[in-house]
Amino acid sequence: MRKKIAILLLLFFLSGLLGGCWSRSEIGEEAIILGTGVDLTEDGLIRLSVQIASPGAFSAGGDTSGGGKEPPAWVVWAEGETIEDAERYLAMKVPRRIYWDHSIILVIGERMAKRGTEMVSNFFLRTGEPRENMWLMVARGEARDILQAQPMLAKTSAQATGFLTRMKTGYIVQIWEYAEMRASKGVQPVVTGVEVQDFGEGRGPGQGENSTVQKKVELSGVAVLKVDKLIGWLDAHETRGLLWLKGEAKEGAVIVPSPGEPGKEVSIKIRRSHTKIVPEYDGENLWFNVNIYVEGDMVEQQSRVDLAKPEQIKALETAMSEEIKARTTATLEKAQTEYGLDIFGFGNAFHRKYRKEWREMQNHWDEEFSRAGVNIAVEAHVRGIGLLSMPAGSPEK
Amino acid sequence: MLEHGKIDSKQAILLMISMILPTAILIVPAITLKYAKQDAWLSLILATLVGLLIAWLVVSLSLRFPGKTIIEYTEEILGRVLGKIVGFLYIYTFMRIGSGVCREFGFFLVTAMMPETPMIVFIIIAIVISAYAVRNGLEVLCRFNQLFIPVTGLLVIAFLLSTTNMKLTRLLPVFDTGLLSIAQGAVSPIAWLGEILTLAMIIPYLTKPKEAYRVAVISVLLSGFILMINTMESLLIFGPDLANHWLYPTYNAVRVVSIANFLERLDAVILMVWILGGFIKIGVFYYAFVLGSAQWMGLKDYRPLVLPAGLIMGASSYFLFGINIVEYYSHLPYHLILPEVVIPLLLLIVALAKGKGKKSEDEAT
Repeated sequence: MRKKIAILLLLFFLSGLLGGCWSRSEIGEEAIILGTGVDLTEDGLIRLSVQIASPGAFSAGGDTSGGGKEPPAWVVWAEGETIEDAERYLAMKVPRRIYWDHSIILVIGERMAKRGTEMVSNFFLRTGEPRENMWLMVARGEARDILQAQPMLAKTSAQATGFLTRMKTGYIVQIWEYAEMRASKGVQPVVTGVEVQDFGEGRGPGQGENSTVQKKVELSGVAVLKVDKLIGWLDAHETRGLLWLKGEAKEGAVIVPSPGEPGKEVSIKIRRSHTKIVPEYDGENLWFNVNIYVEGDMVEQQSRVDLAKPEQIKALETAMSEEIKARTTATLEKAQTEYGLDIFGFGNAFHRKYRKEWREMQNHWDEEFSRAGVNIAVEAHVRGIGLLSMPAGSPEK
Repeated sequence: MLEHGKIDSKQAILLMISMILPTAILIVPAITLKYAKQDAWLSLILATLVGLLIAWLVVSLSLRFPGKTIIEYTEEILGRVLGKIVGFLYIYTFMRIGSGVCREFGFFLVTAMMPETPMIVFIIIAIVISAYAVRNGLEVLCRFNQLFIPVTGLLVIAFLLSTTNMKLTRLLPVFDTGLLSIAQGAVSPIAWLGEILTLAMIIPYLTKPKEAYRVAVISVLLSGFILMINTMESLLIFGPDLANHWLYPTYNAVRVVSIANFLERLDAVILMVWILGGFIKIGVFYYAFVLGSAQWMGLKDYRPLVLPAGLIMGASSYFLFGINIVEYYSHLPYHLILPEVVIPLLLLIVALAKGKGKKSEDEAT
């Protein structure tokens, strides 16, 4: 009997440990960060801005409760010597424990990126709490503005930007992918660019009278980094070329001039594509054969030519490969002559094929790359033509 | 005999796998990838082959002395004084690995998951649980293990889920790092697979000691295979350049898995394997340490030693390996080659030369 009582008492006291003791934290005590921005201030300090979710606005009744609505997120910032230092100052303003685990995006401001992106990414990779699959981007301007922008179709701008990247229309990169590019000698890192755009006048009852112009986030090209410092940008057109050369053009469309009717265009939506880079090196000359394979469906036709004929489709395919070739050549030239940086990973392809030569060439790879010749060959196929065989509404000739 | 329980071959295999893998899955890939980069798989094949040799060595040696553990038969081979010294070395090795595992166990939990909890809390919890299992004997330890080993299968599922992030081209070019680097990369997996040495404490308690060869070979092959899967997982996801920058690459590899934006945050898988496996791994070395000490001192029962042994292991996990993780890593793992390979080999040679023990043909118990 005494033993039974002892066991019962033991169980009773042990159950107190079940909840876990040390790092216990209730969800109501956490400041859940949705987006993070890092800027360099005028005085050379690091400014850490975070977008913190207000849990009340996310609950079911949050939207419809009319008056006294609290904004779904709060953007707050602090400055410091390092990111951790800034976080400590931030903790003086935020009445809850800062919780990184749900941060969707990490935005680096333009000035900060010029100073160095690695001093930003290091904190987020070293600390266990932020996820490695945060979306990394460089802002044209200040990162804080991205977080403060008004969201579209989502509660907060961080979420909206996260959704934007997931659509895979531009070049997108997660922080671990950036770290991989940074660690590799055969490729220079490129990071998604974002900027804030004015979207006309605010309408609707919720927007209030005081704000007339809405600020929205928009993906805008790609930031090119040398080692880890921002040295330039690729615009949206050049980004398409980058995607083709990196073999990541899985979404999007190719707009080609219509066969038989100049001045009118045909749109072909990409369905499948892959890119193969074959380096050739004879000890002196270095060149790359880039083979791009793409399949697409015609989704739009401005001209009135009957394109549903084998020879017209052939012409369309030729036009398509010309277009892709022009896009990629433009990007390639910019990378080779203007930046002198291998942002496509040609070095890795070279390393795979010529491992001995690579040992010597990796130390001056970017120069080698700038001098290298590149042949781009595109094999384009138009697979479907949509639901129309003739341009609808035009009389047969 | 000090231990009255008996375990069958299947239990022994499972016990050996849980004894090798739990810490290996997180720590070995980082070290192997550092040296061998994209040739890490070659290192692991090499390590598995060497592991099989060690297994063969340990089992051949043990089967010459049926019913005896390595602590007992070293005395028979080398004589009383020298035998006691070598025996002590083995007890020390078991203790050292055991406390090293405690340290790794605590370090990972503190670094990755719970930075505010003192590490000693994790170490004490692990030792208390293992102590309970050890006190109840080998059979209880094995049953505990049988209950939880299916969790290891989650590692394979995590691997399958993370294939979406993998690129096979990251394995190229082959042989880039050279033979020396591949061999260097093989050292730490060899040290881990060589922990099959612990089987020398368990063979007398197998229901069919003859099957010890099978037990050892299957354990090493399966462990080598799962280790390979884990190393490949981080290599194929992060590529050779980034993968070796992580301290626990498997953990990070599982963390980046995100399927359709809802199947993500699989860290828990690693954590489950780590915690449950950690208890078993500590338990096996704890058991070997306690049983070996009792035999070394000629005691009739090992149970009085359980508590002091636990205190020694817990305390030395702090004192032997330095305060920070960098010091801990600098202790890995070359010193293990001596007790795992060199001494068993010497023992076998001496036993053969002196004609001690049975010949392997008539090894019936």
